[in-house]
Amino acid sequence: MISHAEASEKFIADAERTDWHDETLWFVREKRDKASKVLPEWEALREHASQIKDHTLANLGSYLQAFEAKAQANGIKVHWAKDAAEHNEIVHQIIADQGAKILVKSKSMLTEECHLNDYLANKGIEVVDTDLGERIVQFRNEAPSHIVLPAIHLKKEDVGETFHQHLGTPKGNKDPQFLTEAARQHLRGHFLASEVAITGVNFAIAETGEFVVCTNEGNADMGAHLAQVHIACMGIEKIIPKREDLAVFLRLLARSASGQLITTYSSHFHKPREGQEMHIVLLDNGRTRQLADPKYKNSLKCIRCAACFNTCPVYRRSGGHSYHQPVAGPIGSILAPNIDKKANADLPFASTLCGSCSNVCPVKINIHEQLWFWRQDLMAAGLAPVGKTIGMKLMALTLAHPAIYRIGGSLLRRFAPLLNSRLNPWYKQREMPETPKESFQEWYKKR
Amino acid sequence: MSAREEILGKIHAQSEINHPGDFKGASEDFDFNASLEVVGARVLTAEELEIQFPERRRYEKILDGLSLAEVEVLEIDGEFGVAENGAIWLTEEALPHRVAPFICQHLVINVSKIVPNMHAAYAELNKPNSSFGLFLAGPSKTADIEQSLVIGAHGARSLTVVIRA
Amino acid sequence: MRVALFVPCYIDQFYPQVAVASLELLEKLGCEVIVPTDQTCCGQPMANSGFASSTEGCDTNFTHNFAGFDYIVGPSGSCVLHLKEHHPSEKIRNSVYEICEFLTDVLKVSSLTANFPHRIGLHQSCHAQRGLRLSSMSERNEKPFSKLEELLGLVEGVEILKPERADECCGFGGTFCVTEEAVSVKMGQDRIKEHDVNAVEYIVGADTSCLMHMEGILRRQGSNIQVKHIVEILNHD
Repeated sequence: MISHAEASEKFIADAERTDWHDETLWFVREKRDKASKVLPEWEALREHASQIKDHTLANLGSYLQAFEAKAQANGIKVHWAKDAAEHNEIVHQIIADQGAKILVKSKSMLTEECHLNDYLANKGIEVVDTDLGERIVQFRNEAPSHIVLPAIHLKKEDVGETFHQHLGTPKGNKDPQFLTEAARQHLRGHFLASEVAITGVNFAIAETGEFVVCTNEGNADMGAHLAQVHIACMGIEKIIPKREDLAVFLRLLARSASGQLITTYSSHFHKPREGQEMHIVLLDNGRTRQLADPKYKNSLKCIRCAACFNTCPVYRRSGGHSYHQPVAGPIGSILAPNIDKKANADLPFASTLCGSCSNVCPVKINIHEQLWFWRQDLMAAGLAPVGKTIGMKLMALTLAHPAIYRIGGSLLRRFAPLLNSRLNPWYKQREMPETPKESFQEWYKKR
Repeated sequence: MSAREEILGKIHAQSEINHPGDFKGASEDFDFNASLEVVGARVLTAEELEIQFPERRRYEKILDGLSLAEVEVLEIDGEFGVAENGAIWLTEEALPHRVAPFICQHLVINVSKIVPNMHAAYAELNKPNSSFGLFLAGPSKTADIEQSLVIGAHGARSLTVVIRA
Repeated sequence: MRVALFVPCYIDQFYPQVAVASLELLEKLGCEVIVPTDQTCCGQPMANSGFASSTEGCDTNFTHNFAGFDYIVGPSGSCVLHLKEHHPSEKIRNSVYEICEFLTDVLKVSSLTANFPHRIGLHQSCHAQRGLRLSSMSERNEKPFSKLEELLGLVEGVEILKPERADECCGFGGTFCVTEEAVSVKMGQDRIKEHDVNAVEYIVGADTSCLMHMEGILRRQGSNIQVKHIVEILNHD
């Protein structure tokens, strides 16, 4: 598996495309800014949302049980899955009971986390991703590169080529309107035929046992309302206490994600449609471990808006695939190490700790601080690259002893020209700083 | 031990962190018509509607959503509109079928009550709950292809709103 | 006012002029400035690399050098932020100041004798801005403020130009500058492009680390733009 640094270097090699990717996402950040500046109460909303989530997480067990009881009373079947494997088994069983061989799925990062599509494919069940961006990357056998804009790394020419191959659209046609219409017709066929629909969950309300799914395209609803069986997959952290709380979150979500006032559809599923089977699968997969750690529990407040992605100068210049797991960007970098420390040890270091992410986060997750904490935990777990630990111990020794520091400093300055070499990563694209004749302390001594 | 027991067993209630209560101080000076325009909906008067969509149809409650698959213009009634964002609250009771506002090609919604913002909206709908409801703001849309906004993704291609007295 | 000068390690070794300017300026403003001569570093390079557990010796040396001072002032936003957030001694955490915030908040400087008739591009270093709140940030819905601009406003002749993305990170990020070299340099090049467009003579900020990184790129590009720490401008007669 290729590290973030290596993958980014490849990404940036195409400077023009990197600029395009960077500008496209910066534009989304700017739209978010415009929307947030319209509301004088914006910062108060963020604080309120943060407090609701803090309170919920502090009482998660009782809220989950309250949700389960209400949902069940409303006729929704509630399942619990301790990990991705169990989640996939449960979902598969429901589908198998229905006898479906093909089904539609709307956007759910959780199902990406569990690699559900692959699991079901191995069982002979085809999943048709119906979010336009997700269908595009599905055709291309790629992972989504952004949790809200899955195909943001693709130009319209790329989409045109993909649709030409898979939908028979005319070669060379890259008109978004035309291509979207082609996808509409193609996916409409699937919606009308599908017996099973899988959706994600944006929010689940403990008070009423209902859950909310937000889309702009209407694909979640086209699937769910026509299907005999609706399976909603959710992480246990998606619970919020009361219906009124939704006002706060729905005001923040779309504005933070894209600068829109609200998503086109915010569907509140309370009871199954008459004659329909509705299931909800509650997934842990390491969330309880994250919850138990005071340093990281705040990461569970996330409402998956991706504002942090859009503002991150590193993400914009390296692309989602450089993060080598389903949720990229700043939030991904503090969630992924919890799932697999070794595989994701590079991610908390793919940051300058600039803090922009924490300040656009609608629920005030202290992302940049958690990145710092993960660095400590990962190094303590022995996951430092070869040589780094030795280098750090040497540095610690030097900086603890003024005499060694002074000698080391003057040696560094004396032999600095040696660092003007391609072996020095700094020197690849930058000149080294000029070497002054004396250090400040040497100058001060003579003053 | 079931997964449920295992998961709940790992969650321990933490120190007293209170729910902050209802949000206070939300803006109220929004223009519903302006918001409708922003989300891509069109506003017509009752007279204009007659001229623009004479072929529109209402439907009785139906069990099979697929029977609405060929509907061109569907007319339904919304509970209320939200000035802040142009959203309209629709309930299952007011729909022939849950899929109706999505499966039709063009949608017409009548609305007579407007509330200022989402907080007021939830206060309004916090009565015995419908088994399904949604906030619908404009026609379906996507910007998934190079951030180009395309109106008409999988749901209705257009939304026309008539504000009735 | 009795002030201890904190000299960040890389300023001590590579940019002594920044510490000289800090010393001179503080003295000009009537401070008695003590320079502990056995100071080394604040510990940030190790801590940010995940080795905060190894900074004990460095932290102890810092406490030792700066014991008994109510005001420890240094020309580095990121170093000061690190000390404020992570140094084990509460007294140190409460006594350390970045030099600009010291000038505006403690000395409450209202005039300077400085003169610097040049076009300068203002660089907002992230830790100074978002961490120490030296200026408002574009992410938040807040009233604009800037301690940097307040101080620069007291300098005769200075013309401040802001890049289009007023507070995007320059890409230095500590060891990030070499471990993620490609992204680091791209970020720096992008920042510089925006200053270039404004035809500035100097890029100015409160963190020499950012400036060192951008200067490295500027020199490699053969650019005429130079970098200066803000304190060098505030001290410039």
